[in-house]
Amino acid sequence: MGDAAVTIGTGEQVMFWILAPIAVMASLGLVFARKAVHAALGMALTMIILGVFYIAQGADFLGVIQIFVYTGAVMMLFLFVIMLIGVDASDSLIETLKGQRWAAGLLVLGLGGILVSAVGSVTYGLSDGVAQTNTSKGNVPAMAELIFGRYVWVFEVTSALLITAALGAMVLAHRERLGKGPNQREWSRRRFEKGENLAGLPVPGVYARHNAVDTPALLPDGSISELSVSRVLSAREQTRSPLADLEAEDAIRAEIESGSER
Amino acid sequence: MTSFITEAGGATVAASGAPALAWLLIVLPLAGAAILLLGGRRTDSFGPLLATALSWGSFVVGAIVMIALLGLPSDGRSQHLALWNWVPAGSFQLDAGLLVDQLSMSFVLLITFVGSLIHVYSLGYMEHDPDKRRFFAYLNLFVAAMLLLVLADSYLLVFVGWEGVGLASYLLIGFWNHNPAYATAANKAFFVNRVGDLGLSLAIMLMFVTFGKVDYATVNAGVSQASTTALTAIGLLLLVGATGKSAQFPLQSWLGDAMAGPTPVSALIHAATMVTAGVYLVVRSHAIYDAAPNAQLAVAIVGAITLLYGAIVGCAKDDIKKALAASTMSQIGYMMLAAGLGPVGYAFAIMHLLTHGFFKAGMFLGAGSVMHGMKDNVNMRRFGALSTVMKITWVTFGLGWLAILGVPPFSGFWSKDKIIEAAFIGEGIRPWLLGGAALIGAGITAFYMSRLFFMTFYGEKRWEKGVHPHESPLTMTVPMMVLAVGSALLGFVLSFNSMFVHWLAPVVGEHGEEHPVLSVPVITGLTLVLVALGAGYAWYVYGRKEAVVPTLAPEGSLLTRAARADLYQDAINEGLFMRPGIHATRALVFADAKGVDGAAGGLAAMVGGLSSRLRQLQTGYVRSYALTMLAGVVAVLGTMWVMQ
Amino acid sequence: MSALPAFEAVAVDYWAVAPMLVVVAGALLGVLVEAFAPRESRHSAQVALTVGTLVAAFGVLVWRSVNHHSVTFGGSVAVDGPALFLQGALLVMSSVAVLVMAERFGGVGGDAFTPMGASTPGSSQEAAAAKAGYATSEVFPLTLFAVFGMMIFVSANDLITMFVGLEVLSLPLYVMTGLARRRRLLSQEAALKYFLLGAFSSAFFLFGAALIYGFAGSTDLAKIQSAIAQGTTGMDGLLVPGVLLLIIGLLFKVGAVPFHMWTPDAYQGAPTPVTGFMAACTKVAAFGAILRLVYVGVEGSRWDWRLGIAAIAILTMVVGAVLSVTQTDVKRLLAYSSIAHAGFILVGVLAFSKAAVSGVMFYLVAYGFATIAAFAIISMVRQGGSEASHLSQWAGLGKRHPVVAAVFSLLLLAFAGIPLTSGFTAKFAAFAPAVTSGGTAGVLMVIVGVLASAVTAYVYVRIIVLMYFTAAPEAGEGEEVVALMPSIGTTVAITVGVLATILLGIWPGWALDLAGRAAQFML
Repeated sequence: MGDAAVTIGTGEQVMFWILAPIAVMASLGLVFARKAVHAALGMALTMIILGVFYIAQGADFLGVIQIFVYTGAVMMLFLFVIMLIGVDASDSLIETLKGQRWAAGLLVLGLGGILVSAVGSVTYGLSDGVAQTNTSKGNVPAMAELIFGRYVWVFEVTSALLITAALGAMVLAHRERLGKGPNQREWSRRRFEKGENLAGLPVPGVYARHNAVDTPALLPDGSISELSVSRVLSAREQTRSPLADLEAEDAIRAEIESGSER
Repeated sequence: MTSFITEAGGATVAASGAPALAWLLIVLPLAGAAILLLGGRRTDSFGPLLATALSWGSFVVGAIVMIALLGLPSDGRSQHLALWNWVPAGSFQLDAGLLVDQLSMSFVLLITFVGSLIHVYSLGYMEHDPDKRRFFAYLNLFVAAMLLLVLADSYLLVFVGWEGVGLASYLLIGFWNHNPAYATAANKAFFVNRVGDLGLSLAIMLMFVTFGKVDYATVNAGVSQASTTALTAIGLLLLVGATGKSAQFPLQSWLGDAMAGPTPVSALIHAATMVTAGVYLVVRSHAIYDAAPNAQLAVAIVGAITLLYGAIVGCAKDDIKKALAASTMSQIGYMMLAAGLGPVGYAFAIMHLLTHGFFKAGMFLGAGSVMHGMKDNVNMRRFGALSTVMKITWVTFGLGWLAILGVPPFSGFWSKDKIIEAAFIGEGIRPWLLGGAALIGAGITAFYMSRLFFMTFYGEKRWEKGVHPHESPLTMTVPMMVLAVGSALLGFVLSFNSMFVHWLAPVVGEHGEEHPVLSVPVITGLTLVLVALGAGYAWYVYGRKEAVVPTLAPEGSLLTRAARADLYQDAINEGLFMRPGIHATRALVFADAKGVDGAAGGLAAMVGGLSSRLRQLQTGYVRSYALTMLAGVVAVLGTMWVMQ
Repeated sequence: MSALPAFEAVAVDYWAVAPMLVVVAGALLGVLVEAFAPRESRHSAQVALTVGTLVAAFGVLVWRSVNHHSVTFGGSVAVDGPALFLQGALLVMSSVAVLVMAERFGGVGGDAFTPMGASTPGSSQEAAAAKAGYATSEVFPLTLFAVFGMMIFVSANDLITMFVGLEVLSLPLYVMTGLARRRRLLSQEAALKYFLLGAFSSAFFLFGAALIYGFAGSTDLAKIQSAIAQGTTGMDGLLVPGVLLLIIGLLFKVGAVPFHMWTPDAYQGAPTPVTGFMAACTKVAAFGAILRLVYVGVEGSRWDWRLGIAAIAILTMVVGAVLSVTQTDVKRLLAYSSIAHAGFILVGVLAFSKAAVSGVMFYLVAYGFATIAAFAIISMVRQGGSEASHLSQWAGLGKRHPVVAAVFSLLLLAFAGIPLTSGFTAKFAAFAPAVTSGGTAGVLMVIVGVLASAVTAYVYVRIIVLMYFTAAPEAGEGEEVVALMPSIGTTVAITVGVLATILLGIWPGWALDLAGRAAQFML
């Protein structure tokens, strides 16, 4: 790091070496996580750590904004979308193309190697970071000067991007209701005409041992009804098997019986 | 070449007087084509006549310009007519202009005169065709494009005419495109020509690199400074262009198939336009070839091979038009050979081109007349003894026959004999090979042309049932008569006092007196003996009263069968180029996949094979697309990184 | 902290950017129309508004902006000769393209867009929406946003402006690609691919911008140029990778090999009028940006990276031409042809002379008009109501629709570069500078270019052959292939395309002159 290392305090270094690997791991998690929610969380973690880095380097405003906007707003929006699509939407990670992973890995290493060697071959001069700006103008005003000065055009143009995004989302996702939708009477009539689940879907298990929503109901014939638990829970693999409860029940009954015998 | 080349005549001057009207030459037929095509059915009634009149109008303008040129001193006959500033911007300028000189005017008169006669002939021949307006429009377009080709003042404008000729020929050959075989033939002609066009366009580009501009004046002036390598490359590329358009070895395969078009079209293509373009190009580029002896030798060799090839193929064809086509190929081979001999031969190449234009047009029209009488049958084995019923056709055809054989004093003698003589000029083994080929070719020519003539007009009647041959109407026979007169006399007129050689000398340079390795009388004598032998043998087999010509072709010897199959050219093409790419061809689901054959098709199939292999990269999976992009990034960055 | 100095707003030359402001104002109005206008009148209102906006913007550009050559907004936007020329070309081309998008064939075939983008393909809802006469008239404001982005792109004098322009132009295109009325799954797949790969390429662009910022300490093209001229110490290692990554990011948009994989899929999947718009206008915008980047920003370092891009150019020409041979879908075929054309244009770009700038700009205009008209014709040729895009369906079209076939043939001949069409002049204008000032690499590229164009010419001629000399397939099964009667808008669009093709072929002087006068970049 040459001369620049002079300006970096020990505390900052310690922080960097702790947080940087976490950030890298979190971003790798973003790529490799099987579930969209995990990937999103990995991304949030990376964003937060980046924000911390910004603050550590004196760019307080940027750091705070990073955490507010990316980690707060954008990530929550992202998670919201994921939840909307359905948490059970997880990609199959089985690679069907021959040699795809192998080649991709090799090329990524190649690109990384070239870029690291390019960036590593450079000698960086002494940098005062944002200290000077912070003392002369202040972090926020300097930023404002750029946004509303030289880059005001770009800043305004970004609004076009947002409008386009909103318009595009409307076009691609907004379903207008065509005609009148069925009301409750029609719905139930339809259900009876179909003759399925006339009494509604079965409710989940009723063992009052804990939150019973995650336990599927047992049908009269003793089979397990998957219909009775929420799709989301089964996708998260957060359902319990009622069989354990059955065994417990049997155990209790046996105990009672043995108790009554006693 | 050991001859003394005197520098080509005086500088080109700006056109004034009659030569300034040269633009009319092109505009008249072009206007005809435009009126007929845009006017639609409204012009059905008068269209063909208008087209014919405009073609004659073009000839009249040509004649006026010619007379004006003759009135000028010989070094003032090269006149340049600037038309318009095509691409005017900045450092790369392109001007369109016409060059009126002895060479281009020779062509202009041939094209407009023979072309106009063919227009007249077509009035009769196409009388009952429902689409004859379109036919005449294409004819006019053809003439206009060919005139642009020969009058252009730069290689680029030549290229425009070259493409135009290709397009018009394509339209005409495929005119009866309701017949799939004909449409296929048209495709083949077009594809093979594209290979030639590629050669020409590369040559033009190389000229642009070498000389900075591509007009004749700059190129001719720049030759002395250019490297021999560049000139040889340009010369060879021009030769590729010429072989494509002039149906020379190895791009000759389209010519026979192109007979599918209406007969007047064949006459036009073979006699006055299209196939002569290659010879024109070589002669026009004489400055380049004179400075690149290797390229020039290549021209001569291509000519020699083709003249033998065409002659051999001609011996075995029973289709009268295909036999004539083979003969054209062979005769153009003579011209190429002459053009490849350098200044000794240029004038004779053009002279033979002119005489050939007359007698070959006459014979094609004669063949058309025979077909007209024989209900469009083209099989000579079903002709015979027509001399009795089609007297005019017989006589006019006969004059053409005598001319192509080179019997003195008919036209062919004066031009072909000179080429054979010129081929014998030189040192070492070269004159013997080239001269020998030309000499043997003359003998074979005599055989197959006599075979054609005798099978058609002599022997016994072998007509199919219900065919009652009759003489054709006057609109058809008059052009034939005019052409027959030309076939008889033109050679003598042009050779009188070496008139034509002196006329062309300012353009192509004059050559000193040179002597062939055999003395001239010996060559002439040998030629005549061979011709007599060939014709005599043909008479013995096909012409005598007693000769029996089977109506079904006998199986024949190996050579005969090979010749019938165009010496297996298509098969060779297929084996060399098509097989490797056969899978690709299968992938093409076109209805016209069959149209892709010959050398061009072979190349296409190779490209197609590569294409279908590359196509597998396009898997449709976005992750593999991204992988390709990444590979590209790594490759580019990596290469640049390594190079630093 | 000392007292803050008063904020000084940057000087803005409003006339210089007025055309862009007009376009974005029109786009915003379009959004409002979408929100408030009754459904029946939306389509016509949008078409009128969009075309009106584009024409007005062009009017402003010709009336005022041409006299306001300036680098404005503190150096982040450069409105100079090339920018104005390309913006003008974009405005004219996009208004023509919008006329094609508005085509509804008098209600016979419906327009090219799905009635409801959100409905599941093939669902009853889709059918109901179609029956109710719904239309995705949002494409018109989206088009205006895309045009706006393109105009920013060609006038961006700062890497950040360039990036925002890139995104503004791309986003609407991603959406529009997925809105085809028929074969919607294909269309949606194409949109997703385009979007993903576009994001991928944006990442390369950004990485490059970061490296260049590291090198020059600024994203301003002028500052980058002076940094290269000074040759700052120690940071040189960042320059070449940065430049290459930037150019690669831009080359994605023009479909240069190996960044072309999206092109055939997106061209085939997108609604045909959108394909025409994309092919013509995106190319103009992307090459405008490439020209500015390599001529203004990083020209000083060109000897370090030129060969790499030359290799890409050669590869692009070869792959585009060769792959077009085996295509059986007209739209895919034209996609590959557009790839080959991108290669031809790159040859001109790499010549590094003023003549090259004008040649490239001329090429873009010539190609653009022909392309829009060609895709307009493809959208007219139908079988059983849907587009007959398979080549075998075009067999014998010349018999039944001589005018349509003739016009299409003319456009194909222009693509092939046959003399007396715009394609020839354009190739000449782009190749000649490469020969004169491109050195050995330039000559090599031109040779490859001529060979590649011979291959593509073969392909185009084959289509002509197919239309004229091949009998139409027996009409035993299914309906006959017909060319629908276009409305006045499409007719105008095709006529403009044909006129431009002929005029720029026979009389290109004025246009070359205009491009030549506009070829000077400002800093």
